Amino acid sequence: MSDQTSRAFGFEGTWREFAPIAFTNLLLTIVTLGIYRFWATTRTRRYLWSRTRFIDEPLEWTGTGLELLIGFLIVLVLFGIPFLFLQFGVQAMILRGQAPLAGVLGLVAFAAIFYLAGVARMRMLRYRLSRTWWHGIRGGSNDKGWGYGWSYVWRNIVAWIPLGLLIPWSMTSLWNDRWNAMSFGPHSFRARVMPGPLFKRFLLFYLLPFILFAALVAMIFAGGEALMKAGIDPDTPPPFSTIVMTIIMVLIFYALIGLVALAYYSKFFRIAIGSMSLSTLDFHFTARAKDWLKLILGDIALVLLTLGIGIIFLSYRHWKFFVTHLDASGEISLSDLTQSATDAPGQGEGLADAFDIGAI
Amino acid sequence: MTHTSPDETIWHYDGTSAMRRHPRIDWTAETFTLRWDGGTSGPHRWGDLLPVDGTGGRSIYGLRGRHGWRLGFTGAPPQDFAIHLPLPARYGRWIDRIGLWRALALFAVIAAGVVYAVLRAPTWIAPHIPLAWEQRLGDAMIGDFGGRLCETPASRAAIEKLRMSLGKDVPIRRIGIANVKMVNAVALPGGHILLFDQLVQEARSADELAGVLTHEIGHVRNRDTMTALVRQFGLSIVLGGFGGDLGNAANSLLTLSYGRDAERAADTYSIAALREADISPLPTAAFFERLGGGSDGEKMERAATIMASHPVSAERRKAFEDSARKGHRYQSALTPAEWRAIVNACKEDKDVAPASRFPF
Repeated sequence: MSDQTSRAFGFEGTWREFAPIAFTNLLLTIVTLGIYRFWATTRTRRYLWSRTRFIDEPLEWTGTGLELLIGFLIVLVLFGIPFLFLQFGVQAMILRGQAPLAGVLGLVAFAAIFYLAGVARMRMLRYRLSRTWWHGIRGGSNDKGWGYGWSYVWRNIVAWIPLGLLIPWSMTSLWNDRWNAMSFGPHSFRARVMPGPLFKRFLLFYLLPFILFAALVAMIFAGGEALMKAGIDPDTPPPFSTIVMTIIMVLIFYALIGLVALAYYSKFFRIAIGSMSLSTLDFHFTARAKDWLKLILGDIALVLLTLGIGIIFLSYRHWKFFVTHLDASGEISLSDLTQSATDAPGQGEGLADAFDIGAI
Repeated sequence: MTHTSPDETIWHYDGTSAMRRHPRIDWTAETFTLRWDGGTSGPHRWGDLLPVDGTGGRSIYGLRGRHGWRLGFTGAPPQDFAIHLPLPARYGRWIDRIGLWRALALFAVIAAGVVYAVLRAPTWIAPHIPLAWEQRLGDAMIGDFGGRLCETPASRAAIEKLRMSLGKDVPIRRIGIANVKMVNAVALPGGHILLFDQLVQEARSADELAGVLTHEIGHVRNRDTMTALVRQFGLSIVLGGFGGDLGNAANSLLTLSYGRDAERAADTYSIAALREADISPLPTAAFFERLGGGSDGEKMERAATIMASHPVSAERRKAFEDSARKGHRYQSALTPAEWRAIVNACKEDKDVAPASRFPF
């Protein structure tokens, strides 16, 4: 207990408390053909937030299922239906030989989705902060995200021009843009993450496929030569052991790439959150690559062992992971922490929902 | 008036600053007031209190119209105070009102009704879609079929003769021979019927082809393709699969069964039209027999496509057989020269695109 109270953030939920929420959510979502999922999300968050202690007081989630439903419907009407027609239209145009026009329209549709995905990231964060309360005070932002959408588009394009080598820069600068527009109470968040410390791990991730591929080619050559010397006809089917070896090597290949990607992301989150402050508070995130690996392996084991039912506990596990590794230092003056003057958005994270953007 | 004394177990946030107060509460049957050193809140009406999800045995209330205003109790509120307080929401307002299990049952019944309606709706909607829309949609979908339609002046005349004798009153816009190596015939939206060349090649006589053609004319007359399209469109929306593109839609029309009832209705039309035109139904029955793996089934190895979309049953074959009039001398659907013109259409049409195995 002393360990828990010494940290600024603590998670005090238990899976036994969460299980009735998760199972009734699942049941209600099934019998309402999925419509209840907005209320299910809300109930889950209400629980998770209420068990998340910051210093002396739990957080509070005040979002509603109706907000999420309305957000979803807005996306459906504004973007989903025209998009459906565009898709039908493009195919029809190709069939009628108007391929160039179809290509242009398809590109426009793609650009629009790209832009909206950026807007969605910003609006999701804004919605979540505006519904998160602590000591009767909430967060928010006055930035509606339309401008952020553009910087999302151009920074991603620039990052890809030198064959993706600038991805750490686009990720960090977008993180800063996003968080610097957010506030809690009267204070603005400050995020000043720099891409420099990320490049070593990024290059490892970037170059690993090439290194592994070169190693593979070398092994095949060596193996081929050995076969030639042994006088084996290359047309005869390879022995069983060779097939097993090949499968194992392919698995190792993907596992290594996954591990290196995990190492990159864990460092990204550590330094991105570590660069953040709010007034006199500095944030820290302590999860290292091996913690992330444990989380993911745990997820896989949970889902496999429960034949899929365990999926309903993943949001709990992920939130707990996030909160238990989050810390803050410094002091916060409660009398200076006055109510946020930002506009609270009327609807939920519809766009992000539509694009299936989940993580923090 | 009753009151509690200020107490660590009762706390209050006023929604303008994060300062935590421990107020004294004074209340009457209608209203209550919070008082602390240097401030008061109230009198407020009981009806304006909103329950907030209790966290870890605490009871928390908000106030209507005052964002961030909170009144909290460690444990349950004092007994004579509590009777005025509303109950916290659990699953959502409607569900709480009728109870979880009753709500589950009710939703399940509604969901079953919705699923039934969605499955039946195409049959109700399709007949009300204006023919002009269907024609435009059909033209957009098919265009010139990638230049793969075979036509010579003689084949056009022969096809026109078939159309006049078998489907004069049906809004057919085109019967085409498509240079596709599949044993199949399809009715597409907008009154288009395509006979695939391989079907023509494997048919033994014009009468056999006439039987298959009238079956497709039956689908056009009953607007079965529109029903299938509406069903697919509806399903793609209901299932959230916005990935439904037109090429796929058209492709699946080839393998989509319109349902047993629709197939039977098309057969009924076919039998009646053949009788009207004085063409023997027996060759069509023989064709079904061959499809059904009869005497020379192996020759029809590619029949799989037509069988997938037109389930051949002994019952259907028998219907055609039984409709034959004993001892009656039937007319031929086409003269030998006309039949040859159709069989050779793809060979003799110089402009046609090369044959393909796949229609789209």
